[in-house]
Amino acid sequence: MSSGGASGTGEGGGLATYVVRRLVNAVPLVLGVIVVNFVLIALAPGDPVTHLIGEFPAPADYVERVRADYGLDKPLLERLVRYVGNVLQGDLGFSFANRLPVLDLLLQRLGRTLMLMLTTVVLASAVGLTLGVLAARRPHSVGDRAATGFALAGYAIPEFWFGQILILVFAVWLGWFPAGGFRSVRIDYTGWAAVVDYARHMALPVAALSFRYLAITTRLTRASLLEVMNTQYIVAARARGLSERALLWRHALRAAALPVVTVIGYNFAFIVAGSALVETVFGWPGIGRLMYDSIFTRDYPVLLGILLLVSVTVIVVNLLTDVAYAILDPRIRY
Amino acid sequence: MRSSSKYVLVLLSLLLVFGAVSAQETPVPGGTAIIVLGSDPEHLNPGISTSYPLGAVSANVFSGLVRQRADGAPEGDLAESWTVSDDNMVYTFTLREANFHDGTPVTSADVVYSMVEILAPNHGRFITAFNQIASVEAPDPRTVVITLKQPYAPLISLLTAFDAPVLPKHLYEGTDPLTNPVNNEPVGSGPFTFANWVRGERIEIVRNDDYFLEPALLDRIIYRTVPQDVARSTALEVGEADLVWGFYLPPADLPRLEANPDLQVWRGITIPALYFVFINNETPGLDNVLVRQALMHAIDREQIVEQAQGGLGQAGSGPFGAGFAFAHSDDTDYRTLYPYDPDRARELLAEAGVSDLELRFVYDSARGAFASAGEIMRDQLGQVGITLRLEPVERAVMVERVYNGDYDLSMQSFTSSGDPAIGYHRIYLSAARGTPFVNATGYANPEVDALLTEAAGLADLEARALVYDQALAILAEDVPTMVMFDELATEAAAATLRGMRTLLDQRDGLEFLWFAQ
Repeated sequence: MSSGGASGTGEGGGLATYVVRRLVNAVPLVLGVIVVNFVLIALAPGDPVTHLIGEFPAPADYVERVRADYGLDKPLLERLVRYVGNVLQGDLGFSFANRLPVLDLLLQRLGRTLMLMLTTVVLASAVGLTLGVLAARRPHSVGDRAATGFALAGYAIPEFWFGQILILVFAVWLGWFPAGGFRSVRIDYTGWAAVVDYARHMALPVAALSFRYLAITTRLTRASLLEVMNTQYIVAARARGLSERALLWRHALRAAALPVVTVIGYNFAFIVAGSALVETVFGWPGIGRLMYDSIFTRDYPVLLGILLLVSVTVIVVNLLTDVAYAILDPRIRY
Repeated sequence: MRSSSKYVLVLLSLLLVFGAVSAQETPVPGGTAIIVLGSDPEHLNPGISTSYPLGAVSANVFSGLVRQRADGAPEGDLAESWTVSDDNMVYTFTLREANFHDGTPVTSADVVYSMVEILAPNHGRFITAFNQIASVEAPDPRTVVITLKQPYAPLISLLTAFDAPVLPKHLYEGTDPLTNPVNNEPVGSGPFTFANWVRGERIEIVRNDDYFLEPALLDRIIYRTVPQDVARSTALEVGEADLVWGFYLPPADLPRLEANPDLQVWRGITIPALYFVFINNETPGLDNVLVRQALMHAIDREQIVEQAQGGLGQAGSGPFGAGFAFAHSDDTDYRTLYPYDPDRARELLAEAGVSDLELRFVYDSARGAFASAGEIMRDQLGQVGITLRLEPVERAVMVERVYNGDYDLSMQSFTSSGDPAIGYHRIYLSAARGTPFVNATGYANPEVDALLTEAAGLADLEARALVYDQALAILAEDVPTMVMFDELATEAAAATLRGMRTLLDQRDGLEFLWFAQ
């Protein structure tokens, strides 16, 4: 509101009302997500009790007792109602497989996944925008072809495979970076050395995760920028003798940024999903790997907790994207 | 003169060789070993779970009454000694002076409490033993008396840190052992003390200087979680890990690791593991014994060992494998009874009047070797006119389908600890559908049931062998399931690591590990 400046408090208030309205609307959406996830997971084949007991023939009464201990003997509807009630009170349940509260597990892992994700989003967006602009400045030049070719490769290569190739080249052959983990296990670094150690461990997973989003951002920036550069107001500005540099940076880029912002927001959700595979390849103990492990152990409460976290993230990031529209484009007002 | 100088030279060189060997073989204390786990344990209470990664940590933090040397011979762990009554019914154990890691002495009350209150209701493998036990008593703080309902030969091999760990009564009494927070910060009496656990990353245990036997050589062990199998070989190659057990190693990587001078690779037999292809005896066609025999002739098990298992195996020789001499007979060796012979398979199928058989091969999609075996089998069964459809499914789905009878053929691996009665009898004993990890074939033969039950009660191995011979003859004829191969165990380690496999289970006895300089 204070940064609204010349646009006045009235419009800032409109934005605030809009944000509140969106947040209120998000509540039934999140509830819907919980219900759908809960039912889908319950319908999937596989029994968590089998995993809880281990690989041996346990007597039937013991199996039934374990089932009852974890509340899995109750009807689906009763379990669902109880779960939603608990979530509304901030209780995400107790992990079958880890024997810890789900919230504690998620919080332990969240920071490490954010480390990867935020670095990836910032890096992919910055490099992608730069490459896209460079490509759009001289369409069909060698530089443009290189950038689009690079983007196509990034789009086509699966990130888990790319991650394995990065390990092979940079960890096994060249020995420049560690092959996995999120910090050294043999030596406990402190202070500045610890920061360097974390950064070295992040390099390869961030590169693996970034490639695809960098590619998408590059292609989209290029396409969007080329479109804007051919609009009449740019042609008019060019006719008035503005330099190409001023045209690009002052007029075109801002207009071209809208679809790019949309995609950055949209990527955010996919990076969470992508991190499940990349975190597994690199042995990175984050949310993605917790999700991967929980699927195999049929750890329903943890899976539901992660899916809830992802859906809330998507809703919040979408909202932030819409707010960013309003800031970038003065024609958009809520 | 010349000849004597030769002798001197020989002597000198011998001295040098032996000198070098003995210098190299003197254990050096200190250091940290990094051992790879494929996944995090669920928790660290060995009294309520039999999971592989949990045992890898807990066997070195907790003690049992006995432990098994590499050759399978039992020796005292917490028990200083034990006696067995003449009728094989009463086992009396005398405990050593030992402390839990929090300083509390270990007494017979802890042993009784662990067995009766924690293990019996919650530990799948111990339940089998407990069903044979009439009572566990503690007449004085240093004595434990176990009285059986009937003689039960495998008892001693079930009293290890894996199957009957001694837990601290004072920390568990009056709590729910499933949710007690001590499960995540275990207190045992073993050679290593639990230090810390960062889930998804590492578990750290450090040497227990108050250990009641010879203290560990290493200062600490770090278990590092590496979820992806190819990344485990890589971790060894780049020096980020010192030891990976075969359970977690992809067989395809072994030749590469063997060629690496910084690593050592071992192959051999520790705890016998058997690979089966279960036959659903209720599938139309497979209910005919001739067809099941035809399957045995139609599949070249040697080729499967070579191509799907990286050579780490020996073609299956009988229902209980080759690991237990008393449960094996040359007369019923599957390798001579059922050699690879597609012509014989076609004859048997013709005799049975079965043609155009189409079978589903259900297996755990995470097991790469199973997929390769399936492809080889599809090819070989195709040659005798049987169509095999591969159905890779996720593990949890596989368990549900196979043990409810929704399959035709399914590849499985089983281990049997130190006795075939523990792990293999269940595959042949008749059982109702729906219980995981028992007989999934639907085979039910009262005669086999009676013989196996009798064998499990005989402590005398010669008498036991005679009973097994009868069961082997019936099973060799009926072929309720295919026995594919005995697995060879393996592990890969840093070239300087010493002292592995001092005890029977690779995961056990890490107190003997040390690094050569």
